[in-house]
Amino acid sequence: MNLYEASFLPAPLWIITALHIVTLTLHFIAMNFLFGGTVVLLLAKIHNKWENSSVATFVKLLPTAMGTTVTLGVAPLLFVQLVYGNMIYSASIVSGWYWLMISFVAIFSYYLLYAGSFTKTTKRKGTYLALSLIGFIYISLVYSSVFSLAEFPAQYHALYSNNQTGLAFNSDIGTWGFRWLHIVLGATTVGAWFVGLVGRNDDKVFTEAKKFFLWGMVATMIVGFVYMMTLGEHMLPFMRSAGIWAVTVGLILSLGSLHFFFKKRFLFSGIMIDISILCMVITRHVVRLLRLDGIYNPTTLPVDPQWSVFFIFLISFVLMIAVVWYMLRLFFKDTSKSAT
Amino acid sequence: MNYPFWDVDIGYGLLMSIIAVVHVFVSHFAIGGGLYLVIVERTARAQGDQLKLDYLKRLSKFFVMTSVVFGALTGVAIWFIIGLLNPAATEVLIHNFVWAWAIEWTFFAVEILAAILYFYSWDRMSPRSHIILGWIYFASAWLSLAVINGIITYMLTPGDWLTTKDFWDGFLNPTYFSSTVLRTGICIMLAGLYASLVAAREKDSLFRIKLIRYNSYWGLIGLLIAMLSYYWFRASIPTEQMSTMLERMVMPWVAQDQLRLFAGVLIGGFIIYGFILTKAYRTTIAILMMTMGLLWFGAFEWFSESSRKPFVIQDYMYANAISVASLEQTQSEGLLSAITFRTGNDGADLFRRACRSCHTIDGYRPVNRAYAGTDIEFIAGMIRGAKAMRANMPPWAGTEQESMMLATHIYEQIDQRHIKDIYDLDGAELGEKVYEIRCGKCHEIGGYNDKTESLVDLTDEDYNDLLDEAGDLAEEMPAFTGDQIERDALIAFFKTLEEGVQK
Ligand code: HEC
Ligand code: HEC
Repeated sequence: MNLYEASFLPAPLWIITALHIVTLTLHFIAMNFLFGGTVVLLLAKIHNKWENSSVATFVKLLPTAMGTTVTLGVAPLLFVQLVYGNMIYSASIVSGWYWLMISFVAIFSYYLLYAGSFTKTTKRKGTYLALSLIGFIYISLVYSSVFSLAEFPAQYHALYSNNQTGLAFNSDIGTWGFRWLHIVLGATTVGAWFVGLVGRNDDKVFTEAKKFFLWGMVATMIVGFVYMMTLGEHMLPFMRSAGIWAVTVGLILSLGSLHFFFKKRFLFSGIMIDISILCMVITRHVVRLLRLDGIYNPTTLPVDPQWSVFFIFLISFVLMIAVVWYMLRLFFKDTSKSAT
Repeated sequence: MNYPFWDVDIGYGLLMSIIAVVHVFVSHFAIGGGLYLVIVERTARAQGDQLKLDYLKRLSKFFVMTSVVFGALTGVAIWFIIGLLNPAATEVLIHNFVWAWAIEWTFFAVEILAAILYFYSWDRMSPRSHIILGWIYFASAWLSLAVINGIITYMLTPGDWLTTKDFWDGFLNPTYFSSTVLRTGICIMLAGLYASLVAAREKDSLFRIKLIRYNSYWGLIGLLIAMLSYYWFRASIPTEQMSTMLERMVMPWVAQDQLRLFAGVLIGGFIIYGFILTKAYRTTIAILMMTMGLLWFGAFEWFSESSRKPFVIQDYMYANAISVASLEQTQSEGLLSAITFRTGNDGADLFRRACRSCHTIDGYRPVNRAYAGTDIEFIAGMIRGAKAMRANMPPWAGTEQESMMLATHIYEQIDQRHIKDIYDLDGAELGEKVYEIRCGKCHEIGGYNDKTESLVDLTDEDYNDLLDEAGDLAEEMPAFTGDQIERDALIAFFKTLEEGVQK
C-alpha cells in the first residue's frame, strides 16, 4: 500500500540531503547560541553577573536567538521528513504526547526569555533563564530520544505494541544517552564561544568563556568518543565510512578553533567551529544510514523532479539571503535615531 | 497503514481544531497587523503625531509577542499534530508540496527577522528605513500565506491534480484564488480587532475614540471582503462535490449558519461600538469583539474542513488514511494484512484504522449508543453498509470476515441488554426506536433516502417478508436480526406510518 504520491522524491536525493545537512548545521549553530549561551550564563562565575553589561547584551539577544533557532529548525525537519518520513513519523507517534508538547514547552521558554530580557530587576534574570533552560532540556531530551528511535524500527514496533497512547518513551537510553550528552556539551562549548565573542572586551567574561570553551570541548570529545564506542555492530562499518573522516576533520578544526579563540581571532575561530559542527551533522547522517542499512535505503525512492517549483525555491532562497542581509545592514548602519 | 496509530482519548477532530483555530487566529493577525502598522506609521510620521507613534510602539510589542512567538510556534504545533494524527496524508502533502513549503520557509524567515528588527528599531533608525522594514515584513508575511494556502485548498479541491498529479494543478486548484482573497480579508479584519484591543486601553479618550473609529473601518472592510469572497469561494467548489455537500452533509451548513450569524454580530458590533457608542469600546467590549471574531473565523474553518469529509484529501484519501486507490485491494485482501503496526488485538486494530480517527467507542463521537442493544451481525452489516448511511462516512475498507471481527470488538463494549430494557419502551414507541437504530441511519423518515412509501399500508405478512428479506434488498443493507419482540414492535410502528409522514 505504498502510494507513489507519498514516496517519490521531487528532486534528486543529493539535493535534498545537502539542503538538510546545511540547514541543520545552521539550526545547530543558532541552537548552540541559545542553549549553550544560557547554560554558560547561568553557570559562569562572574561578580555581579546580571549587572554586567556584556551579560545583559547577551540576555537581550536570547529571544532573537530563539526565533532564529526555531526558524532554522523548520527547514531541516521538512527535508528529513521528506526522505525519512516513515521512520520519523512512526517514532514520534510512539512518543506522541512528549513530541506534541515540544511546541508548547517552546512557547513557555520563549516567553520566559522575553521576560528575562525585559525585566528591570536584574536578580530575576537568572530565574527566568533557568526556567526557560528547563524547557530547552526537555526539548533536547525528546528530540534525541525520538530521532534516535527513528533509527531503530524494530524498537518502535516493539514499543508500540505495548503502548498505543503516545506515552511510550524510548527507554533504551544506551542508544541515545551519550548522543544527547554529546550535543548538550557541544552546545555549551559553542555557547561559550558566543559568550566570549559578545564579552570579548570584558576580561572577566572572556576568561569565563575561555574556561567553558576549553573544558566544554574536552568533555564533548570524551563523550563523543564514548558514544562512538556504543555504536556496537555499527562501529566497524563506521570506521570504514566517510563518518570517521568527518569526525577527524571536525576534531582538528575544533582544536584549531580553540587556538584562535584564545588569541581572540574570532573570524578564523568561528569558521573552524562552524565547519566542525557541519562535520558533526554529516557524521550524524552517516550513522543514521548505517543503522538503517538493510532496512531502508533512500536511493531506491523514485525521483520525479519538480524543477519549475524548485527553481522558484532557489530564487526565493537567494532573495531571502539578500533581504536578510539588507535588513541587517539597515539595522546596524542606519542608527540615525529618529526622534520618537 | 505503514504507521503506528496514535490512540489518544481526545477526539482527533477536537485536538486538531483547537490547535488549528488558535494558530490561524494569531497568524492571520500577524499578516493584517503588519499592514496596519506600516500604513498607520506612515500617516503618523507624516503628521508628526507622537501620541500615535507611542501607541504603535505598544502595538508592535504586543504584535511581536503574539505573532513571532505564539504564531510561529503554534504553526510548528500544527505541523507536529498533522504528522501524529494522519502521517499518511502528511506524507502525501510533503512529497508533493515540499518545494512550496520550502519557499514558504524563506518568506517565513524574512518575516520573523523583519518583525524582530522592526520592533527593536523604533528608537534607532530613520523613519524611512523603519517603514521599509515594515513593508518587508508585510510582504513576506502575506506571501507566506499565499503559498501555504495552495496546500490547504488543495486538500479541499485537488482539481486536475487527481488525474495529472502535477504540482501546479494541485497548487493553483479551483478554490485557491477565492480563498486567498478571503483570507486576506480575514487578515484585514483581524488587524482591526486586535488593534482595537490595544487601543481600548489608551487613556486619552479623544485619541482612543479616534483610533477605535479608524480600526472599525479595518474591521468592516476586512469582513466585507471576506464575506463576499466566501460566496465566491463556495461557488468555486466543483459542482459534484457541492451536490454531495448539499445532499448528505449537515456540518458545513451548520457552520455556514454560524458564519453568517457571527458576521452579522460583528457588523453590528463594529457599527454600534465603533461609530455610535465608541466611548464604550473598552477592554471588555474589545475582548467580546475578539471572541466574536474567533467564533466567526472558527465557523469558516469548520465549513471548509467539514466540506471535504469523509476525505482528508478530497477524492484521494479518506480521513482514516485509507486511500481511494488502495480500497479495492484491501477490500479483497483484507485491511489487517495492510497494517504494519499490529498490536495483537485484531478487532482493536481494525477499529483504530477504520473508525478511530473520527470516533471513539464511548467518548468523542461515540459509536456505542448507536449500537446499544443490537447484535454482532447487525453491527457488521452496518459497518459494511457505511457508504449508504446518511452520515458521510468512508466505505468499509476490509473484508466481510474483518467486519465481523470489528463488530465483535465493538459488541464487547456496548450495552448488551435488550433495546426494550435500555430505553424502557413498548409497542409502537419501541418500534420507532428500533427503526431509528436498525433502519434510520440509512432511511430518515421524511428525509435522507426515505423509504416510507414502501412501508405504508402493507399486510402483516408483507411486513414480515420485508424484514425476512431485508438483507437481500440491497448490497449495503443489513439483514434484520432483531428478535420477535423487536419485530412486532417495528411492525406496529410501520402501521402508524403514512406516506411521507408519521401518523
Ligand atoms: C471520516 C470520518 C469517519 C470515519 C472514518 C467513520 N465515521 Fe462513522 N460517522 C462519521 C460522522 C461524521 C458521523 C455522523 C455523526 C453524527 O451525525 O452525529 C458518523 C456516524 C456514525 C454512526 C452513527 C452514529 C449515530 O449516533 O447516529 C455510526 C454507528 C458510525 N458512524 C460508525 C462508524 C464505524 C463503525 C466506523 C469504522 C468502520 C466509522 N463510523 C468510521 C464519520 C466517520
Ligand atoms: C446500512 C444502510 C441501510 C440500513 C441500515 C437499512 N437499509 Fe434499507 N436500503 C438501503 C439501501 C442502500 C437500499 C437500496 C438502494 C436505495 O433504494 O437507496 C435500501 C432499500 C430499502 C428499501 C427499498 C427496497 C425496494 O426495493 O424498494 C426498503 C423498503 C428498505 N430499504 C427498508 C429498510 C428497513 C425497514 C430497514 C431497517 C430494518 C433498512 N432498510 C435498513 C440501506 C439500508
